[in-house]
Amino acid sequence: MEVPKNRDDDWSLLLVRVGKDQDKRAFEQLFRHFAPLIKGFHYSRNTQAFCAEAADELVQEVMIRVWRKAPSFDPSRASANTWVYTIMRNCRIDMLRRNNRRQDSDSGDIDVDDIWDDTPDTQPLLFLQRKRGEEAVAKGLASLPPEQSHVLEKAYMEGKSHSEISAELGLPLGTVKSRVRLALKKLQASLSN
Amino acid sequence: MIRHHPDQNMLLEYAAGSLPWGMSLAVSSHLQLCPQCRQQHEDLNDIGGALLNESEPQIVETDAFAKLMGRLDQEQHQAQDEDTGPTEVEEPPVPTQPKKAGADPILANLPKVVGKLVSSNRPLKWKRVSSALRTSRLATGQDRYEVAFQRICRGGRVAEHDHRGREVTVVLVGSFSDADGVYCRGDFLLREPGDVHRPIATQDQECLCLSVLEAPVKVTGPLGWLVNPFLSFRPN
Repeated sequence: MEVPKNRDDDWSLLLVRVGKDQDKRAFEQLFRHFAPLIKGFHYSRNTQAFCAEAADELVQEVMIRVWRKAPSFDPSRASANTWVYTIMRNCRIDMLRRNNRRQDSDSGDIDVDDIWDDTPDTQPLLFLQRKRGEEAVAKGLASLPPEQSHVLEKAYMEGKSHSEISAELGLPLGTVKSRVRLALKKLQASLSN
Repeated sequence: MIRHHPDQNMLLEYAAGSLPWGMSLAVSSHLQLCPQCRQQHEDLNDIGGALLNESEPQIVETDAFAKLMGRLDQEQHQAQDEDTGPTEVEEPPVPTQPKKAGADPILANLPKVVGKLVSSNRPLKWKRVSSALRTSRLATGQDRYEVAFQRICRGGRVAEHDHRGREVTVVLVGSFSDADGVYCRGDFLLREPGDVHRPIATQDQECLCLSVLEAPVKVTGPLGWLVNPFLSFRPN
């Protein structure tokens, strides 16, 4: 079956160029594309996880890390979207930790990248099905019932835990959990098709 | 073969970045030992990637790119200044692990994140809780969870205890069993408040676990308080 060349692959190619040659023009194209999305993910009509200023600050942090980490980007392991997403998630965790750090928390020097570690797998057998899952996931997301996609958006875009979502929507925790599981089951099905 | 895993809800919170730091540490240790969950985590990251791609784009500050490039240039200059700065006297090579001889073999083959935890907490202070159990508290940069190593000697029996808060245990070395089953390297166990259990390490080797505990554990047996690993946290 012929796979149509999709637009997303262009972003992967640009990332590879940034990583290999420190190509600033490729980086600018990536910036023009991803910066408004990163901001929109955290601050838009639907999500207000951050205020506009904090979202702009996050954009800067994420994109600087994209530049620095680009040499480790491997298009066979993840799409550009997923790769940028993981960098953004780690950045956000960092930012929230910096703001919330209490004085009595113990001093440990574990970093966010130690815990949310994205270094390649050492066990090659795993490579077996790391195919373009994201496209299937995107299609699957679009076909979810609204109450299921809504909890996923709250979890990812607003960074809310299941209990926070349950409190906010006035739903029992069990209901939130089962909506998440139902959504994942459907997405899993679209992945295996 | 790993038989116990974090559930999908917890993995999703981890992938979305909302799972608390202490718990995430336990999930991360498990992921480094469990290919199956690592695969699931990557699928969950793909959801994040897809949601990012479909976000409603928002206009960023007009000078955002220029600002960023300014920052990068500055960094590069600094790096160059350091390069051309006074050349440092070359230090004699330091032996990488000066105390290798005294290194604890049980800490030799741990998941990367746990290894980092060990080196940032060196020297580990082991507290003897009973003849069977030693524990070592670990600083992890948060205070919501008690993170510790639990080390049970071969065939060692730990006093029966219940759990007042959620506790996650990840088996790192060896194995142990309780009334519900046997737990081996990589297994991820979640105990809910009120669960009572009495772990016993298997005879063939020492067992090392990472435990992440939401609230102090209370020992239920007679004189149990003597062997409470988290005695110092007992409310008066």
